Amino acid sequence: MDIRFSGVSKIFYPDITALEDVYLEIPKGEFVYLVGPTGSGKTTLLRCITREVAPTRGQITVGSFSLRKISRVDLSIFRRDIGIIFQDFLLLPHLNVFENVAFVLEVLGAPPREVKERTGEILDQVNLWRRRFLYPPQLSGGEQQRVAVARAIVNAPSVLLADEPTGNLDLHTAEEIMQLIISINALGTTVIMATHNQYLVDAYRQRVIGIKAGRVVRDEKRGRYNLDGEL
Amino acid sequence: MGSFKYAIRDASRLILRHWGLSALTILTSMAVFYLIGASVLLVLNTRHIVNILEGELSVQAYLSPRADPHETAQKVTGIQHVVKVGIITKEMALQKIQGRVGDWTGVMELLGENPLPESLEIWVDRASSVESVALSLSAMTEVTDVVYAGKLAEKLSQFSHFAGQFSFAILIVAITASAVVLFNTIRIAVYSKEEEIGIMLMVGATPTFVAMPFVLQGIILGGLGSLGASSLLAFSYSGIIARLKDILPFLPFLENGTVVIELGLILVGAGATVSLIASLVAVETFTKRAMRPL
Repeated sequence: MDIRFSGVSKIFYPDITALEDVYLEIPKGEFVYLVGPTGSGKTTLLRCITREVAPTRGQITVGSFSLRKISRVDLSIFRRDIGIIFQDFLLLPHLNVFENVAFVLEVLGAPPREVKERTGEILDQVNLWRRRFLYPPQLSGGEQQRVAVARAIVNAPSVLLADEPTGNLDLHTAEEIMQLIISINALGTTVIMATHNQYLVDAYRQRVIGIKAGRVVRDEKRGRYNLDGEL
Repeated sequence: MGSFKYAIRDASRLILRHWGLSALTILTSMAVFYLIGASVLLVLNTRHIVNILEGELSVQAYLSPRADPHETAQKVTGIQHVVKVGIITKEMALQKIQGRVGDWTGVMELLGENPLPESLEIWVDRASSVESVALSLSAMTEVTDVVYAGKLAEKLSQFSHFAGQFSFAILIVAITASAVVLFNTIRIAVYSKEEEIGIMLMVGATPTFVAMPFVLQGIILGGLGSLGASSLLAFSYSGIIARLKDILPFLPFLENGTVVIELGLILVGAGATVSLIASLVAVETFTKRAMRPL
């Protein structure tokens, strides 16, 4: 799914500008890093794509969906094609690893057999099959993030949004997660990843969009994290 | 099918997770629907009694001890609208009472002789004539008292009207109370799963899918409450009627079991409907807010 931002601005009441006049075009299958200081508008941009945030001005289209006016049913259908990885994982503590991942397929109404098979495959892919009966508090940070990744990709979304997915992890675990995300992108999934991790951005060179005070200040095809000390 | 299984599994989890609240909700709706059922039965009974009494076209005229029953009966036959006149002797009156309330031997031994007056039973051509015939009878010197069912029917009709209004007020208050209790129970359940619902909506679950377990939970709680109320009503009604017949043996109460069964079914249906609406409102309010963008 292509993602297009046309003159998008978001002003939170009373006068906090989170995004200002953003124009972006992200073609299907691309890997994009969103970089910028804390509070620059990276998360707001991601939340605009999931329509948790509605722009004050401008248009956002994702595939055939125009997000300006979308019914609740259409929004549910649209969100089925978007996978989200949160920095703080947002796993359900009363469900075990298997249930946390299977939950997505269940709520999408998949038949029980498919839920079992597909969840098994994904847990195998993220190396968590042996830990499927453990609960989130019994897992390490890296394992919890891998569950979050598995949950985000279990229904094979066209777009994967990752908000600081390595923010709470050590470098080694962060690399593991990164390789997992890269492999998902290689299968054709569009990935937009907001990050502060300079090492990863520089090690796995991809398109870099720099945001500062809500504005896109740079957009490079194979960029680096910090250009001339700007970001 | 998968969705329905999920809804049933989740609804049972919700009920068990908040078992204290669930039990309290069932008890509250049980009390509410029992109250509604009891007031409906009160109205049905008064209407039944009024209908029967209104249908009786006879007037009872009690004679003075000096009056001759046959002569008086002859006079009464001449009154306009009178169709038939029957004489009820002291003995017949006593038998009638004994037939209704049982053996009076002890009382009769105490009194020595039959204290009941002789009377005439007068049938008129139509219900609207009862009043004028009763007036003519009251004017006769041979008659000491005139009693007719229409008078009682009129009083009962007034009571029935009042009972109807009172029951309607109870119905409104009780259903509102039940809906509010159910709404709050479901709302607590919804808030206890706030995070889960948030994730569900983010991964593309439809609001209907999210609402299903909560609506099912509401229907189960409300349905169980009203089912309990119906059973209690059916169980207690026969006992209450038996007691009332002892106290007021001359009143024809509703003794048809079908009425109580039908009322029970209506109560269960009403309980499930009220729960359905209350839980839908509770979940919809939440999902609408959760899906509204910032």
